[in-house]
Amino acid sequence: MAQEQESAWALGKKLWPYAREDAWLFGLPLLLTPLAMALALLEPWLLKVAIDDHITPGRLEGLGTLALAYLAAVVLSYGSHALYQLALAIAGGRTIRRLRQAIFAHLLCLRPAFFDRRPAGALLTRATSDVESLGDALTHGVVTIVLDMMMVVGVLAAMLWLDWRLALVLCAVGPPLAIVLSVCRRALRNYYLRIRETLSTVNAFLAERLNGVRVVQLFNHQAPAHARFVSLNQDYRDAAVRSNVFDAFMYAAVDGTASICVALMLWYATTDWVGGAISAGLLVAFVEYLDKLFKPLREFSGKVAIIQRAVAALVKIFGLLDHQEQVVPGEKPRSPLIGRFEVEDLVFRYRAENDDVLRGVSFQVNPGEVVALVGPTGCGKTTVARLLTRAYDGYKGHIRLDGHELSELDIHEIRSTVSMVYQDVHLYPDTIRFNVDLGNPAVGDEQRAEAAALVHVQPFIDELSDGWEHRLRERGSNLSVGQGQLLTFARTLAHSPKVVILDEATASVDSVTEALIQGAIANILSRKTVIVIAHRLSTVTAADRILVMDAGRIVERGTHQQLLDQGGRYANLVRSGLGREA
Amino acid sequence: MIRLLRFFREYSFLYWRWYAAGVVFLWATNWLAVQIPLELATAVDALREGTEQATKILFRAAKIIGAMGAAIIGVRTLSRVLFFTPGRLVEYQLKNDLFAHMMALPASFYARWTTGDLISRASNDITYLRVLAGFGALQIVNVTVALVLAGDKMLDLSPDLTLVVAVPIGCCLVLVQIGIQRLFTLTRRQQEQLADISDHVLASLQGIRTLQGFNAEPAFEARLEVHNDDWLATHVQLARIRAFVLPLLMLAGGLAIWGLLSFGGPMVARGELSIGEFVAFTTYVAYLVPPLRSLGWLLSVLQRALTSLERLEELRCEEPDRLGQAPSPRGQAPAFELRGLSFSYPDDIEPTLSDLSFSIPAGSTVGIFGRTGSGKSTLLKVLTREWNPPPGTLFVDGTDVLDLDLDSWRQRLAVASQVPFLFSETVADNISMGVKDSPGLEAVLERAALTKDLAALPKGKDTLVGERGVMLSGGQRQRVALARALYRDFDVLVLDDVLSAVDHDTEQRLILALAAVGQGQHRPTLWLVSNRAAALTHADTVLVLAEGRLVDQGTHAELITRPGPYQAAWLHQRVKQEQPAEVT
Repeated sequence: MAQEQESAWALGKKLWPYAREDAWLFGLPLLLTPLAMALALLEPWLLKVAIDDHITPGRLEGLGTLALAYLAAVVLSYGSHALYQLALAIAGGRTIRRLRQAIFAHLLCLRPAFFDRRPAGALLTRATSDVESLGDALTHGVVTIVLDMMMVVGVLAAMLWLDWRLALVLCAVGPPLAIVLSVCRRALRNYYLRIRETLSTVNAFLAERLNGVRVVQLFNHQAPAHARFVSLNQDYRDAAVRSNVFDAFMYAAVDGTASICVALMLWYATTDWVGGAISAGLLVAFVEYLDKLFKPLREFSGKVAIIQRAVAALVKIFGLLDHQEQVVPGEKPRSPLIGRFEVEDLVFRYRAENDDVLRGVSFQVNPGEVVALVGPTGCGKTTVARLLTRAYDGYKGHIRLDGHELSELDIHEIRSTVSMVYQDVHLYPDTIRFNVDLGNPAVGDEQRAEAAALVHVQPFIDELSDGWEHRLRERGSNLSVGQGQLLTFARTLAHSPKVVILDEATASVDSVTEALIQGAIANILSRKTVIVIAHRLSTVTAADRILVMDAGRIVERGTHQQLLDQGGRYANLVRSGLGREA
Repeated sequence: MIRLLRFFREYSFLYWRWYAAGVVFLWATNWLAVQIPLELATAVDALREGTEQATKILFRAAKIIGAMGAAIIGVRTLSRVLFFTPGRLVEYQLKNDLFAHMMALPASFYARWTTGDLISRASNDITYLRVLAGFGALQIVNVTVALVLAGDKMLDLSPDLTLVVAVPIGCCLVLVQIGIQRLFTLTRRQQEQLADISDHVLASLQGIRTLQGFNAEPAFEARLEVHNDDWLATHVQLARIRAFVLPLLMLAGGLAIWGLLSFGGPMVARGELSIGEFVAFTTYVAYLVPPLRSLGWLLSVLQRALTSLERLEELRCEEPDRLGQAPSPRGQAPAFELRGLSFSYPDDIEPTLSDLSFSIPAGSTVGIFGRTGSGKSTLLKVLTREWNPPPGTLFVDGTDVLDLDLDSWRQRLAVASQVPFLFSETVADNISMGVKDSPGLEAVLERAALTKDLAALPKGKDTLVGERGVMLSGGQRQRVALARALYRDFDVLVLDDVLSAVDHDTEQRLILALAAVGQGQHRPTLWLVSNRAAALTHADTVLVLAEGRLVDQGTHAELITRPGPYQAAWLHQRVKQEQPAEVT
């Protein structure tokens, strides 16, 4: 428990930088509290004075003033209460907005290897639902629970001050009520957990049967599937129905106890042993005080649950934010890079416990050259390509870009010099313009248009009614595979890198699109330094040099014609269709 | 409104006993709660006197109020349980019915609806109806009973003071109602904004390599900032309503007490009201505020439930396919005949299949060959009646397939598809599909060439395959689907390109196994789709499809001798086999 609190404290300290700017908004409630509390405690007392000193004896002078004071107290109390709630909500909202932005920024600068191991969906939760549960706690939990406790103490003090004996008598209901409530709460916590679990099972089952409805129907499996659904649904229903009983009892217990307290007060008035004469005003005031006492007690468990959820979320959020796996930025080169690669004895493995994927690879790429990598799946050609963009450090041997060791070179400089085109097309649900310039102010309209023309995508854009402003749907689902591919080519050219690393896609497209793609690739090859993982015959024939890889080594190198004449592995590969689908 | 009444008749009415008992207990609860201030009034008036007689009255009132408080705990618990339980039962029944209904709907339905939408209707919309049938019903009765009982007593005590109390409460009630409407609009907007945030973060993470590769981090952060700021703006608007509008009813309670002091105080002084009655009035105000507060929520619940009901009705009025009645008895392989069958999907202009005519004798093996998009899979979907063919175009043993009872027709089929769907259960459960007793699982595993794969899995055939079978490779998933088909008793076996993801050796082994299926005493009619000619060498006849038309038909031996798509593919694929080196 002590440890848990300590870690909560440590988490709070980590959170503070995100909240600091709104410290005054978080502090405002603490300033308003004495006022709100004083007013809340004043109301019943004013009522008591009005009843006992004016209404009961029939003395009307001064009653008007008292009534006005009561009105003022009610309105001010409402106002200060509303104000501090608003302050908390705004401060909470701003804090989590900042935190969300920070999580996102942090994610974006993590090294690529980090994402190999983690599904996007799980990381998404950090920036969405985890942040949300923290927001709940900041708005409704942490501060208000302190205020509530202060209110409880204040009310008790006021009651003791008005009539300490009566207050003590009423305290007798405390322990039994507390026991009943805590028993109910414990049961409810279990039931709520059970409800959540059974409901998610029901929903998961439903989703799966809907996705696989074809199989269910073809195999006449409707009746068994329904029986299974009914039984899962039954578990959920039973947990929910049982939780209702405790829920209802808890509500009713607080309700009934209020009446029992009234009865206790009346009984107290009949006993002489404590000298229990009480006035009508005192009775009314106590009823009001009790109401103020029960409210925070009823809400306490809910607020604790909110805080517990938030702590769990914070642990996960800071688990991510503390994860230091950013790319080491590296040094800026003194002169602009021109894009000459020298690779020497490159050895690499993805993880210490795995085998080497590259076992001594050496080659050079001079500015303006086109170098093709070919070889069977798993030969290491993709790894070479990735290493050239500094997706992974920790290689042995050397990769030099214009004489600078790649792992020591500024990452942003590398990325603006070397650009990789991946096989799988990645488009964002945004306009075509954004998908090409990716929000980079350095990419002007002219560059964009030129790139689009070079890769033959301009005619397609012109056909669209809204042209460049046309919005793509999720994952570019309103584009064909080929169009998507051409757009990613345009994106690369528009950013005018010195070196393009191109992983040719093998996806089958129709012959018209294929011709467009080949033309686009030809344009890229003739304009840039290109390292290409080649699958097309037209590409390899255009290469200045071909490196044939196998099992992490380069086994043959030369031009297309030289290698064909050699009659080795490459010649074999070409004869069997060089990766083109049947 | 009529829809609502029909919903109540169909679902809630089943539980009328619960509701009836609930009403009785709710009435009892409120009766007790209204009685207490009256007892209190007598007691307070007695307080002032301090006589022996007064003490007795006081003591009696204390006993009565105490007993009533204890009774309230019991009856209030019961009244809530009695209302909330049928709400849950209605939810349970609705979900079960909807599930059964959806499982019976045809492919044409699933082509029009997304799974996300269906799930949202089956969970969120049903939740609103549950809240209406439970919480909503309780509050309707509670507010009515509370207002009637307390109002009656208050009017009895003093009509003027009742008015003084009613005015501020009524005004605030209207304001709160407006606030709650606004709250719902804003909440919905905030949910959409949250979805925008998720979409942006998800798209960014999925395309992280590209984004980093182009140094586009600042642009993506700026985009998030826009969404984030929109979200914050709504958050602040919501906070304003929550802070200022929702607590208005508490303020109204205070205003009512102020009214009582200003008007009621002088009345007591003038002797028109006893001090006890004055105290009773303050108690009634405190008693009425909570049910009135829930009145605001109730109206919103009702509104949402009406929308939900409409959304569920849209699903419920979809009709399952119940065309044919004729039984299709199992036990004999059927013959097929197609007479000018054309078929197009609902939104397509071009037909997917056009004018297909051929006949297939019972028990033969039919190969279907063609490129992607030639209509092979569609032809199979029409045979299995996932999509209904036009009437009078497809005959099974001389009967129009549309006249057959769908269930009994499907009993005779075993289908394995190209992109198989596996459930997140064990391999064995996926194959047996709940038919546990039928022996021969091992034999089927062997025939589907799975035995070796299963030996390598941690728990063999009891391994959980994960969502959509992620634990297995693509080829393994296909073979599990094949085994699932082979495990059934069938008269027709339909295999849609099930060999596309397996290597050459396994393919050969499977082809031999499939040929053996056709050689038993009970020979099924076998439909075999492939774009690899090697898989079709054993077929009695091969149908060659191109753009939905039948362009050639014959045995493998005939087809490879004449020029055409089949021969071209055969030659190309044979070359590949001889040169096993692959570059992909």
